[in-house]
Amino acid sequence: MKKVIINKQQRKLIDELVNYYIDNKRLLQVLLDQVASSVSSSQKLRPPLIHSVKSRLKDPEHLRDKLQRKMVEANEKQKRFMITTKNLFSKINDLAGYRIIHLHTTQFQEIDTELKNILGEQSWILHEGPSARTWDDEYREYFNTIGVDVNRSPNLYTSVHYIIKANKDNPVTCEIQVRTLMEEVWGEVDHSINYPHKSESHSCREQIKVLARVTSSSSRLVDSIFSSHKDFQEHAAGQMANLKTNKTRPKKKK
Amino acid sequence: MAKKTSNPSSDRHRAIRIALYNHKGGVGKTTLIINIAAALSKLGKRVLLVDTDPQCNLTSYLVEASVVDDWLDKSETPNGATIWSALRPFSEGIGELKSISASETPDGIFLIPGDIRLSRFEEDLNQIWIECFQRKVHGFKGATAISEIVNGVAKKEKIDFVFYDVGPNIGPLNRVVLLDCDYFIIPAACDLFSVRALKTLGHSLASWIRDWNTISQLAPDDVPLLPGQPKFLGYILQRFKMYGGAMAEAFSSYAAKLEKSAHSDIVMVLREIDANLAKGTLSQNKLGQVKDFSSLVIYSQEEGKSFFTVTDGAEGQKQEAKTAFTSIANNIIAQTKGHSSN
Repeated sequence: MKKVIINKQQRKLIDELVNYYIDNKRLLQVLLDQVASSVSSSQKLRPPLIHSVKSRLKDPEHLRDKLQRKMVEANEKQKRFMITTKNLFSKINDLAGYRIIHLHTTQFQEIDTELKNILGEQSWILHEGPSARTWDDEYREYFNTIGVDVNRSPNLYTSVHYIIKANKDNPVTCEIQVRTLMEEVWGEVDHSINYPHKSESHSCREQIKVLARVTSSSSRLVDSIFSSHKDFQEHAAGQMANLKTNKTRPKKKK
Repeated sequence: MAKKTSNPSSDRHRAIRIALYNHKGGVGKTTLIINIAAALSKLGKRVLLVDTDPQCNLTSYLVEASVVDDWLDKSETPNGATIWSALRPFSEGIGELKSISASETPDGIFLIPGDIRLSRFEEDLNQIWIECFQRKVHGFKGATAISEIVNGVAKKEKIDFVFYDVGPNIGPLNRVVLLDCDYFIIPAACDLFSVRALKTLGHSLASWIRDWNTISQLAPDDVPLLPGQPKFLGYILQRFKMYGGAMAEAFSSYAAKLEKSAHSDIVMVLREIDANLAKGTLSQNKLGQVKDFSSLVIYSQEEGKSFFTVTDGAEGQKQEAKTAFTSIANNIIAQTKGHSSN
């Protein structure tokens, strides 16, 4: 890999940005707590519709890595690096991150409806999204039919993102992600191996790609199980109802 | 980080709001307010006093006991005239703030009378603060309630200066009052406890300002906000005796300690948040000094008037008091000139 050097002045800027983030961590923590309390105030966004939630502030060292990568990229393309302390919070939207984890993909529509209700009721501004990232054709179709933008994900994972803001004036944002428990497993494995730096092991990278396919199949299988289960229950309920109406009918005397 | 430009309640009246604040009691806060208000009034300014101390010392100082009793008896009726009369519908969840009128005192100063029941609202304010952190509209309405009441009266009476008389404590009521102020003044006696008190005062103020800054940055659009930037206008030295034309020695050593402490425990602490919150240099922090006018205090309390407008008392003393307070009043006018209040 060709090494592009970040000069002293650029390194200083990155330090400044990371420190600025650290100085404002409390603000972002309060924002994150507010998002959590908004979501938990919903009667619907809890089991069985959702499995669990997670929240985190970005580790300052991960921000440093991200900024360095962007800086190297800008240097390579001979472009200007555009991030300053003035616009850090509007350029980097995942400093505060909140995640909603559910069991299977087709639950998403109901989660999306309820999440938008809650955000509206509590005067949050939906700054961006929802937008889905997926590489799976069938799921792309699903998100399209319920009106969610879909981007191709080169990373092989499937999840839906929302960027929200507290008001018009303040730039700080919180990213809300919605994904299935299976995708969470894939994401956790990928994150441990490939973050912040991509693994240099060919076989690890290969296996993670395969894991994505297995994950996708598993998610699909869970969808199928739940849809079969529902179908079976409806069928059984129908039969019971039939049985009842049959019973109430007076029997013919022999 | 870019602050939400202080847009408190969209139409904040231009009157400059000032608190005389020291959580250490017995520093002569109420007496100071009355005299400063009278001096400003003599200079042609329209002054409103707001009694937010549930002990109602200011109200009792200025108004006859029978009238105060009557106000307190009737404060929950439709004709209620105290600060609690205005707050009650909101506090009890039965409606919006009630608009009230200020009373005019013999010195031509306006007063929003205090009320012992204000302590009930103080209890609500703990929950209200939590609600502000949770972005709940009710929280913002509660935090700005007193500010709104004052705004209504200031508009109606075309007020130039509002002075809050606050209780001697670090509580949630004083928090919303201080965050509503454009400036604050620290009345300090020449004693050890007054010096010690400045440290806690500086730290609690700083944490209130920081908290409110966080709250307002994350507030939903269109909720009422407090300005949350009380600037340090200086301290006023009191309760010292003169000896042969100079401050008696026992007091002057505390005066020097106060000067130092005001700088390190107030000015430097506030500057860490924002340089604009405390501009003065070490020696500029003293807004004025008022010696012990012991006999005038009694006449002044009896008549409900300032030291220099009482009918009793020695002329020389009254003149001296007038000079001291007029100088403080002029300092206040000069230092608050050009305050960016719309």
